[in-house]
Amino acid sequence: MKSAWKVIREQMKSLYLIRRLSLYELKSENTNNYLGMAWVVINPLIQILIYWLVFGEILGRSSKIPVDNAVEAPYIVWLISGIIVWFFVQPSIIQGSKSIYSRIRFIAKMNFPMSAIPSYVILEKFYQHLMITGIVIVILQFTEFKISIYMIQLPYFMFAALAFLFSVSLVTSTFSTIVRDVHQVLISLMRMLFYLTPFLWEPARLADAGLPDFFQKVLLMNPMYYLVQGYRSALLGASWYGIDHIGYTAYFWGFVLVTLLFGSFVHLKFRDHFVDYL
Amino acid sequence: MEKSVIVKNVSKKYKMYAKNSEKILDLISPKGYGKSFYALHDISFEANKGDVIGIIGVNGSGKSTLSNIIAGIIPPTSGSVEIKGEAALIAIQSGLKKELTGRENIELKCLMLGFDKKQIIELTPQIIDFADIGDFIDQPVKTYSSGMRSRLGFAISIHIDPDILVIDEALSVGDQTFADKCLDKMNEFKEKGKTIFFISHSISQMKKFCEKALWVQYGHVEQYGLMSEVMPEYEAFIKKYKKMTKKEKKAFQENVRKSRIVNA
Repeated sequence: MKSAWKVIREQMKSLYLIRRLSLYELKSENTNNYLGMAWVVINPLIQILIYWLVFGEILGRSSKIPVDNAVEAPYIVWLISGIIVWFFVQPSIIQGSKSIYSRIRFIAKMNFPMSAIPSYVILEKFYQHLMITGIVIVILQFTEFKISIYMIQLPYFMFAALAFLFSVSLVTSTFSTIVRDVHQVLISLMRMLFYLTPFLWEPARLADAGLPDFFQKVLLMNPMYYLVQGYRSALLGASWYGIDHIGYTAYFWGFVLVTLLFGSFVHLKFRDHFVDYL
Repeated sequence: MEKSVIVKNVSKKYKMYAKNSEKILDLISPKGYGKSFYALHDISFEANKGDVIGIIGVNGSGKSTLSNIIAGIIPPTSGSVEIKGEAALIAIQSGLKKELTGRENIELKCLMLGFDKKQIIELTPQIIDFADIGDFIDQPVKTYSSGMRSRLGFAISIHIDPDILVIDEALSVGDQTFADKCLDKMNEFKEKGKTIFFISHSISQMKKFCEKALWVQYGHVEQYGLMSEVMPEYEAFIKKYKKMTKKEKKAFQENVRKSRIVNA
């Protein structure tokens, strides 16, 4: 508890630092390309097109997909409103995990607020996420899913995603620094979770496929599940997801809290010795 | 005299792993596993305000480890380091980001060193002026020559204005005019009463610049005192070592190495 408090206070104190460093991160990542920042949009676009082609057209998903509350959407709309979560979470987790060991050489002082490193890496991805989300919202205006009152849930789910990513990165960045293999494990795990989270297929399919009930329960334990369904409900105006599924909301925040407590504890325990593990 | 740095019984151990599996064993077993190497063993000394101390010793004797510990970049395994004020390390590897311009690197580096917005705005023109690389300051660092790179790196670290300076082989950068400029800056620091630790393999530079010498020999303090007293003995040791036959040298090295390795 005490360590979580310390880490959060450190975040507050380093807010300016985190903001500036994340902007530089964004800049140094994209200055080498001629198209610069445009890649932030082009890359996900290409992926969406491919998924749409394969899963929407070739595998024939012309029927509508249930979102929540009996609201249904065409596959492509359903796909883009959810997959943006993946485009945010995946790079954040991967980069967050290697954030400390790949940058510690660059930090010339031991009293640098080390817990700010994962945060600024995540914040950099968040800028890109905002851009993509903005584009998706614009696209949705050309469909029947125009901006609705449900949209005010979106900031909440963005905050939830940030809280989730930060807590997870505290844990993963610490362990990847100590044992580099953790990072490799994480990459495989994320690849797996992409297919085990309803990004490409809707949860209703599980029952259709005849999979046992508990299988879906297990999948629900993945916090990304909560985020992607929440984003869809907000963007497509389907339901008040966080309230309608209040038990799930409680589980999600419980997960974040426990991860944050554990992450802060291990982070503070090992951070003075991060340099020794290089 | 006011003390500015008090180093007490500082040791730094590094684990030596023969295999990766040993690393895992070491992590999980409570007592630790494998052999350790003493980079520094039971180092104690004190420095006063305004001291200019040259750290001398042959390669691999722990000079850089010691300077990193004084500057607070790596923690000691045991013992305590008491520093009155801020310490900063000036080293050759500048840690600049290649894709960003010089100006952006200045802000980035200052942020990393814990400066706030106002201080950075104030410092930037001074740093640019000192680095003296002209229009290149707004070009990406990857286009810099190695000289320009080290000039910028040095300019940044010297403007941090710490109370204790640790200079690790950093004066060998740049041309003569830049080296002179740096020496001027050092003398300025000296007059301001800052404590300076100076590491260099150039004995003449040492003699000219430092008053005291700390001779680090294979992880422990061999001698600590006035430069005029320690330096002749160090030079005598070097001479003696050079005179040894190859076999003697090898036996000597082996002996020293063994004494620095312990279990767990």
